[in-house]
Amino acid sequence: MIGAAIRKDVWLLLRDRGALISLFALPIAFIVAFGFMFEGGGERGKPRAIAIWHAPGDARGEGIARSLAEAPGFAARPLASAAEVRAQVAAEDAIAGLVVPPDRALPVELVIDLGAPAQVRGPIQGALGGVVMRALSPIPSDKLPPMIEAKTPPGIAKPLEDLSGFQVTVPGNAVLFGFFVALTVAMAFTGERRTGTWRRLLAAPVPRWKALLATLVPYSLVGACQLAFLFGIGTLAFGMQVAGSLAALIALSLSVVVCAVSLGLLMGAIGGSEKQLGGIGSVVLLVMGMLGGCMFPRVLMPSFMKSLGLAVPHGWALDGYYAVLVRQDTTVADVAPQIVALLGFGAAFALLGILLFRFER
Amino acid sequence: MVEGRGSRPAVLSLRGLGKDYGARTAVGAVDLDVARGECLGLLGPNGAGKTTTISMACGVVTPTRGTVAIGGVDLAREPFAAKAKLGLVPQELAIYEELSGLQNLCYFGALYGLRGAVLAERIEWALGVVGLRDRARDPAKQYSGGMKRRLNLAAGLLHRPELLILDEPTVGVDPQSRNHIFETVRKLGQDGMTIVYTTHYMEEVEALCDRVAIIDAGAIVATGTVAELIAAHAGKGLTLELAGDVDAAAAAAAAHGELQRDGATLRVVPAAGLAPLVAAIEGAGGTIARIESREANLETAFLVLTGHALRDAS
Repeated sequence: MIGAAIRKDVWLLLRDRGALISLFALPIAFIVAFGFMFEGGGERGKPRAIAIWHAPGDARGEGIARSLAEAPGFAARPLASAAEVRAQVAAEDAIAGLVVPPDRALPVELVIDLGAPAQVRGPIQGALGGVVMRALSPIPSDKLPPMIEAKTPPGIAKPLEDLSGFQVTVPGNAVLFGFFVALTVAMAFTGERRTGTWRRLLAAPVPRWKALLATLVPYSLVGACQLAFLFGIGTLAFGMQVAGSLAALIALSLSVVVCAVSLGLLMGAIGGSEKQLGGIGSVVLLVMGMLGGCMFPRVLMPSFMKSLGLAVPHGWALDGYYAVLVRQDTTVADVAPQIVALLGFGAAFALLGILLFRFER
Repeated sequence: MVEGRGSRPAVLSLRGLGKDYGARTAVGAVDLDVARGECLGLLGPNGAGKTTTISMACGVVTPTRGTVAIGGVDLAREPFAAKAKLGLVPQELAIYEELSGLQNLCYFGALYGLRGAVLAERIEWALGVVGLRDRARDPAKQYSGGMKRRLNLAAGLLHRPELLILDEPTVGVDPQSRNHIFETVRKLGQDGMTIVYTTHYMEEVEALCDRVAIIDAGAIVATGTVAELIAAHAGKGLTLELAGDVDAAAAAAAAHGELQRDGATLRVVPAAGLAPLVAAIEGAGGTIARIESREANLETAFLVLTGHALRDAS
């Protein structure tokens, strides 16, 4: 009977253009849009232009310009006047600028939009501060040893060296849209009730638990296919890499599916019309996705929001995916906490859903 | 096995069956037997408790009290064995409109454990019974309202149930499809299938059913053949057109028979002949502008039994 239900729901899904778009096409559109955003619009890997002016023959200015030219990630752009530096930054032709006054008693001016988000401004300000400090050191910069060497501490797996924006946006959108299966499940229950097919199912010699599974199992398979499709496209079309084990990726994805389908059962149990579910349910899922970091990485969020993200399954799922996709040799054991958390959320949703589900509504 | 009418065993047996929703009683305590091969009409206005009663009989709604036996099997004790003997045709179009008729029947057949060649044979048979063979591969959404109703019926027949329950199967259908459904029900009855047919259309009951159970306000108020019900409950009826003080005259007439009023028109089944009724009307200041005798029929019986007309109540 479950097999027949799977066939029926696949037939229905294949005829439902709206569902196919929201489950498969829309996430791809989001992945592409956000992917290129995080890639820097095709400027990934290119040094960022820093405009600089100093008076001709000014030793301090020349030292800073030299230090800037040597700094990785920056391209020094010498200009003819301080006004030109300020104009270029204002016009966003350069991300920042340095104006070195001839009078050594005056500080070097960092030209930068102070209205830019701290997450954007802070790293540039810090890096340019380092460039200037290095240039002002009494020891010539080419004689100075490297001031900082970045190393991953023991206990944390080494990340991939070349991370593309898609490494973040593919799992982000896979999780965001993967949880939209919950809405499809809830709407399937509501639709069955509205059309009377639910009554027909209850009148048949089918146990009630099987009647529930007849909806949950097909959509679990749909959810699994959706994630396989999105990660497959991510790998083949957008160069997303899987740094950890494939088994860990599969285990994590199955946990996401179980959690999403259980959430669908809960939403279906709470009820409401298909219209209400479509409206309220979508907003709830979007907010959960936002908190969990599907649209904006949690790592860039303030600490309170970062913690809040773990109150929704999306946050745990993305932490797990980040480990599997970015950290080399990540195993199932490494993502066990995330898998347990997702299954825990799933169990809680399912339990509440079963308690609230009214077969005879 | 509970005995039905005559010596035939009851295929459906309801004993003290009732349902409460909080403080509201939807169905009081229904006792009803439907004999093998019988077509029983469950007649009542909307809200009378027809759907709740058959939902309890099908195991879709859990009763607050009472028992259901289908083919001698207690529904509460052996739900799957009992439900396997039952086919339900819900009032709603309980089909998947995006799927073809064939795909719908494949799924609904699987709910009864049908598969492979048996399922294919049953689908072919059911499609033939409802006359949809040539449209079986078209999506149901392309069917007319009547064709959808016929597919709805076919889905309840696939497993050849001992008992077929049809809940208002002709709601919203064109006359041609209505006739087709009538013919199908008659044919199934002739083939020996036991049928419970719920409706609020008297003419359907009169045309199809061997016996009628009249349900009103959650209780079965009478059962019998159409002829028995008319003989027992519907004396000759009168239609009176009143003039003068119509309100006072109508109030006075109410004491002398079962009465239904529509403006200045009274439909009356006099309790003790015409003379006291006329005297009461004239004594209250009314006059009779026109008087017409009506044949006793099921509608009159319904009026007598429930105190209101079927259509008015719905």
